Amino acid sequence: MSDDLLLRARDVSYGLGGRQILDRVSFELGPSQITTIIGPNGAGKSTLANIVTGLISNFEGEIERRPGLRIGFLPQKVYVNTLMPLTVERLLRLTRKPGDSEIDHALAQTEVGYLKHRQVRSLSEGELKRVLLARTTLGNPDLIVLDEPTSGVDVTGEIRMYELIGELRSQLQCAVLLVSHDLHLVMSQTDQVLCLNQHLCCSGLPESVSRHPEYLALFGQKAADSIAIYTHHHDHVHDVSGEPAGHRHD
Amino acid sequence: MTFPENPPGIGMTEWLDDFLLRSVLAGLIMVTIAAPMGCLMVWQRLAFLSDTLGHAAVLGVGIGLMLQMVPIFGVLAVALLIVFSLSRVSNFNSALSETTLAIISHTGLAGGIIVVGLLPSQAVNLESILFGDLLATTAADLLHMLVTTVVLLILLVHHWRAFVALSVSREIAQAEGVEVRKLQFLMYAMIALLVAVMMQVMGVLLIAAMLVIPTTSARLFSRGPEQMVALSALYGLGALAGGMTSSYHFDWQTGPAIVVSASVLLLATLALSRILKSQAR
Repeated sequence: MSDDLLLRARDVSYGLGGRQILDRVSFELGPSQITTIIGPNGAGKSTLANIVTGLISNFEGEIERRPGLRIGFLPQKVYVNTLMPLTVERLLRLTRKPGDSEIDHALAQTEVGYLKHRQVRSLSEGELKRVLLARTTLGNPDLIVLDEPTSGVDVTGEIRMYELIGELRSQLQCAVLLVSHDLHLVMSQTDQVLCLNQHLCCSGLPESVSRHPEYLALFGQKAADSIAIYTHHHDHVHDVSGEPAGHRHD
Repeated sequence: MTFPENPPGIGMTEWLDDFLLRSVLAGLIMVTIAAPMGCLMVWQRLAFLSDTLGHAAVLGVGIGLMLQMVPIFGVLAVALLIVFSLSRVSNFNSALSETTLAIISHTGLAGGIIVVGLLPSQAVNLESILFGDLLATTAADLLHMLVTTVVLLILLVHHWRAFVALSVSREIAQAEGVEVRKLQFLMYAMIALLVAVMMQVMGVLLIAAMLVIPTTSARLFSRGPEQMVALSALYGLGALAGGMTSSYHFDWQTGPAIVVSASVLLLATLALSRILKSQAR
């Protein structure tokens, strides 16, 4: 694998209980690049994220990682134990031993420094997502994998979250693999889109994907139109996202 | 079960040295290991598993006595067999459903009572199996408890970080390199060991109480996992002291007296935390 790649997937297939979930998916992740996986429910997005992070290992095909690749991961569903007393600070020290300044810095990056001494069980869902996002930046990752990082976050928070992810990328110089069901919110931050529906329907720059016939078949013309509007009005994020989006799948 | 009458002619100190010292030591060992294990089990919602293994332990005692082994080994064999069978089921979580555990639990208890009933009546005291017999702790019992507890503590210290991570979030733990499945199996095996240890003191029906009640009290005032373990140990100690004292003064059965003391402490703590909260407002 060439030095300017972090990870290369070749013909990755995965089935579970006789059901094909991924069918010969191939793609590459470059350094400091934001890649968004979109697709309808059940398209295999989370499965693909779990294969990239190494959580699922019994797949067919090949994943080549750059030697020593450090990955930070924010899983889609994090069940946080409410029975355990746990401060945010301790949550960040769960499996690693970051120093105080590293913790402060990580929390500040996602604008939740004030939560450091709070109990995790008292956080709102949006606060928890930001804390967990801060967590993924510890240990200087080369790649952070975020599986639907905005589920349970309100729309304004969602937009800010994607901006934060963009900022993290430039500050940490790390690549991001983002799973989303909603392309138009992540458009401006995304370098590469992988449109997934078991197989890789299409991939490439956001604008070209949004005009691809398979994308249109999956998400409809309305979704493509809202992307077109959005991409031409980067400075009116809130207005556009406030509109009822016809292409949401949840 | 209750304190024997002080035999005439024998001074207090002589019998104190003997069985009371052994009982106190057995109680202390139990409290030491119940605190960290109880916390992990409450965090991972496994308290019901200890109840199941406890009930099934009756069968273990029966089989053990039938084969003329030390009963604790029978208990361990049955508990490990159950844990191993559960881990063979492909989906670990569904194997731990309430229904599955209830079936195992009651089958074990019923089977155990039948087996015990077949034994000559002087061989076994069913009441002490069910409710414990702290005051009858022998030197050999103490040794078993001590060895098991040391083994458990070593495992706990060695894997503590991973156990806590697993308790917080299975997903995060797994993503960050914790071998979740292995660790979970280890945890279940450790619970089997724990049940065997605690049976002596608390009896099979009251084990879960000592794992859950002091822990719940501790949770009310804890800010971190380790603090909760330390506070649980203090609450366990309080329950032990309260239970043994009331057992001595009022002639109560020791195991149940310890559990009731733990519950009284919990109620007092709840009341205190309410008062503190209303004052803070």
